[in-house]
Amino acid sequence: MADIDTSSSGKGDGKVRSKKMSTRVDLTPMVDLAFLLITFFMLTTTLNKPQAMELNMPKKVEQPEEQTDVADCQVMNILLDTLDQVWYYEGLSVAGLQKTTFAGDGGIRKEILKKQKELVKSGTCVYPAGNKRAGQPRDFIVLIKMLKGARYDNMVNILDEMDITGTKIYAIQAPDPIEIEAIDNGGVVKNFAAQ
Amino acid sequence: MPKVKVPRKSTIVDMTAMCDVSFLLLTFFILTAKFNPDQTVPLDMPSSRSTIKVEDAIYITIDKIGKVYWTTNASTMRYEALNNLIEKYGDKYPAIKNLTEDQKKQFAVMEIVGGPVEDIPRVIAMSGIQLTDYKKKMPGIPVDSLHNQLGDWIMAARYANPKMRIAIKGDKFTNIQTVERVIAILKEKEVYRFNLITNLSTGGNKTEE
Repeated sequence: MADIDTSSSGKGDGKVRSKKMSTRVDLTPMVDLAFLLITFFMLTTTLNKPQAMELNMPKKVEQPEEQTDVADCQVMNILLDTLDQVWYYEGLSVAGLQKTTFAGDGGIRKEILKKQKELVKSGTCVYPAGNKRAGQPRDFIVLIKMLKGARYDNMVNILDEMDITGTKIYAIQAPDPIEIEAIDNGGVVKNFAAQ
Repeated sequence: MPKVKVPRKSTIVDMTAMCDVSFLLLTFFILTAKFNPDQTVPLDMPSSRSTIKVEDAIYITIDKIGKVYWTTNASTMRYEALNNLIEKYGDKYPAIKNLTEDQKKQFAVMEIVGGPVEDIPRVIAMSGIQLTDYKKKMPGIPVDSLHNQLGDWIMAARYANPKMRIAIKGDKFTNIQTVERVIAILKEKEVYRFNLITNLSTGGNKTEE
């Protein structure tokens, strides 16, 4: 035990005495156990709360003047297909469709960051005169389009990428038929006239 | 000079007080801890690096094959939601119009709603074994535009507690179409802010900023 025996040794008077047992119980292991349980409960209760992602959907805008004006140069389209691949193109022309992945380095994240930098650097993609922020570079906008049959996992992944890259404005939309066709053809847009 | 004899003191520290305190704390933590809602539907949730915590919410669960369920932690809320559903949409669902108070309370005890409203009287009548069996293969709440029962449930639950957040709990492998359908229903009911429940990602690829 953790204590030192301080009882004096027998005086040697020959009498056999039954030793008086102390009624004290050593509570140290009990305290140990209690604290162990406390630690366990504290850790599990805080860790068990589900993690959540916040998603804000836009309200339907009825008046056209309430809609924001968006320029080609500030937009990046990201398409998610059924094979966990990511397709992206800039602006409105599907012709530049390219394929990438969700890999942490060299995947879609790199492309988003690159486009963000280009947008600021180019100096041509700015708000027009008359706007509150005239002359300043336009905000970067990502349009997320998921093909039918894409996995929910990918949607969460791309929303996570938005958070990682600090993209403030993004929208989830239905893909256009031309985009679906282009992905079906492996990224080649056959019918340019349809654009 | 006589030597001063220092009495040998016992090194025993009285642990009783410490024990009292620690058990008091333990009791406190156990009592304040909230039970996790029962995982009746096995889900493999996607991970994200988001760390927002959600306390109480109306959880809309979407499983692997696209079946939709809803649940919430508070049983009183489930009871109120059922009451509201009967009150607001009673004409639509004649099956639950005449539920007794006892039946309603029994419904509130079940932690998950995973079937069409028409099934409720049947499910309430089930015995324990039947119920566990049923819970393993729940048909899911209809979400198609013709029988948009999920929308009605959301409205009923929101009447019960308008402050309650709405969270979508989806399986990794579920088809995006179901998720989009659920989001469309939420938008229809003017819920524009909601949460997606994810696991915290542990992958190293999220460290880079």
